[in-house]
Amino acid sequence: MQRVAQNIWTPRPDASRSQVETVTNDEQMVERALSGDPEAFGEIVRRWERRIFALAFGMLGREEDARDATQETFLAAFRNLRGFRGDAKVSSWLHRIAVNQCITRQRRAKVRGETALEDEAEKNAAVFAMPLDASPARTAETVERSQAVRRAVCSLPPDLRQVVVMKEFEELTFQQIADVLEIPLSTVKSRLYTALRQLQMRLQKFGEAEAAAIERR
Amino acid sequence: MRDMNERPVCHRAEDLVTYLYGEASEADALDFRNHLRQCDSCRSEFTVFNQVHESIGTWRNEALGASFNPAAIPAAVAIDATPFIRHERKLSALAALREFFTVSPLWLRGATAFAALLLCVLGVMMVARQSRRPVDVAKADNHEEMYTRKQLEDAVNNARKATEISKQDAPTPIVATQNKPKSDTNRPQFAANQQPKNLRPQRLTRQERNQLAADLRLTPSVDEEELLAFPEQENPNR
Repeated sequence: MQRVAQNIWTPRPDASRSQVETVTNDEQMVERALSGDPEAFGEIVRRWERRIFALAFGMLGREEDARDATQETFLAAFRNLRGFRGDAKVSSWLHRIAVNQCITRQRRAKVRGETALEDEAEKNAAVFAMPLDASPARTAETVERSQAVRRAVCSLPPDLRQVVVMKEFEELTFQQIADVLEIPLSTVKSRLYTALRQLQMRLQKFGEAEAAAIERR
Repeated sequence: MRDMNERPVCHRAEDLVTYLYGEASEADALDFRNHLRQCDSCRSEFTVFNQVHESIGTWRNEALGASFNPAAIPAAVAIDATPFIRHERKLSALAALREFFTVSPLWLRGATAFAALLLCVLGVMMVARQSRRPVDVAKADNHEEMYTRKQLEDAVNNARKATEISKQDAPTPIVATQNKPKSDTNRPQFAANQQPKNLRPQRLTRQERNQLAADLRLTPSVDEEELLAFPEQENPNR
């Protein structure tokens, strides 16, 4: 998975990089997109796609789903561009759309019962993504640990998970998270506290299970 | 271990989170550090939360790559002061069309498809009509109508055929020409010179010829012959 993800983040060479444009913020870009500039929305996508992907990945735990959710987020944003309220930031608006997309997607996946098989596929992908010089035991341990964290995060209730992901994956400030989710600052902090406690419990259970397995060997 | 649903033991749980993620002000950070020395629950929670934080960071780096640094991406707050680089995307026509159909709502896709279909039908109709229409007649500078080479050759061929047919079978071209409406005067009347045989003057009998000559007074009549003969017979000089 690591290799795949690195490919995603590798900046694409662009011959026209020397072309520097004047300062324009997101809100102005939206105005330009609404006035018919075909490049304006593309610029918004380029600015935010990595963050939205990170958010979707943290929420969904799978690269494939995250990519689809990111695409759907920008599609939804484009379709509802006229509904964008100027009083909110574009970043908050995009994040809200992304969170809703992820929650909807996960709900659908739960209905279809797509978890067990995908967990196995994700585990295999993680094994292939490990460095080639890593020992099998070390590889297995790292993969298991990552899988445990992923499962622990994905098993959190959506309201706690989105706070954790925004903080850990996107490194947004508490105030930014509060703006995105439109909740009080203190609620963000209390949710994060609760989420960390639940994660710690789940990871501790995983550690105990792992220790028992080592003892059995 | 505390239960998950248990409320925080210490009333400074929110300060703990703020301090953990480095968002506390200097004064608040100093104050909380002093609190950590005194509060066992906050101290133990701070340790385990740090481990969780590191575990998630490890997973994130494995998943998104260590090069992924969200702080390096221009956030909304920083964009106002940061000039951005515009990437000129050169889409191919097909890619642009695909993108258009991907992002467009259903009604727009339907309308576009209908318009394209209509355009195709109109194009086919135009082509069919064009192929049925005769070749345009070239116009000379003096606005006289000029015939194309093909029209001229066709006309010559038709005239030849008509001549041959009239030689073989006389009445056929007559009927053809007689039945033609008068409005066809614009068309070249190549068969007009072919005079039907029955309209030509027929050969006269001997009697008729004599009568005609008499009428024309080319030969003297019987009475005139007698009159002319009399003086010879009654010549007093004889």
